[in-house]
Amino acid sequence: MNLSVDLGRTELLAHLTDEEIAFLESVAIESEFAEGEVLFEEDSEATRFYIVISGKVGLELVSPRRRPIVIQTLGRGELVGLSWFFPPHTWSWRARALDPTRTLGFDAAAVRAKCVEDHNLSEQVLRIVAKQAVNRLHATRTQLLDLYEFPR
Amino acid sequence: MTVVLSTIEATAEPMLPRPFEVVATRRETADTVTLDFAATDGEGLQFSPGQFTMIYAFGVGEVPISVAGGSADDNVLTHTVRAVGAVTDAICSAEAGTQFGIRGPYGIGWPMDAAEGGDVVVVAGGIGLAPLRPVILRLLDNRARYGAVSLLYGTRSPDDLLYEEELRQWRGRFDIEVEVTVDRAADGWYGDIGLVTNLLTRIEYDPENVTAMVCGPEIMMKVVAREMGRAGTDPSSVYVSMERNMKCAVGFCGHCQYGPDFICRDGPVFTYAAVRDRMRVSEL
Repeated sequence: MNLSVDLGRTELLAHLTDEEIAFLESVAIESEFAEGEVLFEEDSEATRFYIVISGKVGLELVSPRRRPIVIQTLGRGELVGLSWFFPPHTWSWRARALDPTRTLGFDAAAVRAKCVEDHNLSEQVLRIVAKQAVNRLHATRTQLLDLYEFPR
Repeated sequence: MTVVLSTIEATAEPMLPRPFEVVATRRETADTVTLDFAATDGEGLQFSPGQFTMIYAFGVGEVPISVAGGSADDNVLTHTVRAVGAVTDAICSAEAGTQFGIRGPYGIGWPMDAAEGGDVVVVAGGIGLAPLRPVILRLLDNRARYGAVSLLYGTRSPDDLLYEEELRQWRGRFDIEVEVTVDRAADGWYGDIGLVTNLLTRIEYDPENVTAMVCGPEIMMKVVAREMGRAGTDPSSVYVSMERNMKCAVGFCGHCQYGPDFICRDGPVFTYAAVRDRMRVSEL
């Protein structure tokens, strides 16, 4: 497995050292999900987080007596799952492949354990998670403006 | 750099409408219609992508509408109009054979020539796809002149998508990357959900050799330009289409004044570098 080759130009890995990338590669597995297959369920233990290599993943809210509501879709180079980094390490949403999807799945417990002993890696992982969270916060705020409604 | 004749040079009688007749209509969404017009007094209208015309509904009033396509040779002028008031209501409810007065085209359009040789990213929001449709058609007609070409399109919901059939055709081509996203969707939507800027990270383009053409709500255009700037694209390579209350369309009346510019005469297409500071001024 080669993270840089699989993911190409992605800012997720931009600030990681070769050693840090090698560690992440050592705890990652490449997985393929068929359309409709679930990566993880809401409220389940966050054992593995993913980066999308190709395809599309939907983050869904599942509620009784209605079909799942997709709140966001994630594609190539995007991180699927943020809650694995913070206690209680449980998922807030269900993640499901909306297309045939290839991912790299990382052992969340192994990354957390390594972060405890390697503060440089911890800082970089926190930067990655925080950046994704900030991007999603900005996008959500902008979506709340209902931009496309007239008047512009 | 594209050389564009000034409005007055390009149009012999800039304030005089020509008679046009609706020859076809297509409903796009609940409140938006695409109409094909034909000149009834002679040749079709020559236009550049990004220019607009003034459409006069007799006895109702006149509105500026971006050209959404057409061909002067075939005497077809296409406009996509959203019904938001008396004049646009009259246009959207017109049937084949209805007469309108049309003058123009006006304004400075998209930098089709300047974009040659590099990648092109087209970003549209809502009805902002209409002024960009001629861009996409021109890019596809002259595909070899450009590098990687991408279209990113965001709307409120799947019901608000324009040109659905064409979007499907464009997606089916191997020489343009088309990504569509909506803010929210019910069952049956298999596309993306989220902000259009999310799609920027998924497409292949060279941030230092790209021309971006962006049209939609101003906040969306600002966010797109900012995100592309963070990726390394110069703000002078990002073009946005501005909209204000245009009346005369030839830079006389001042209704569409935007800082030192008149949108109708100096735009509607500007570089983001030119308007970035103004986009932070709420009074403008």
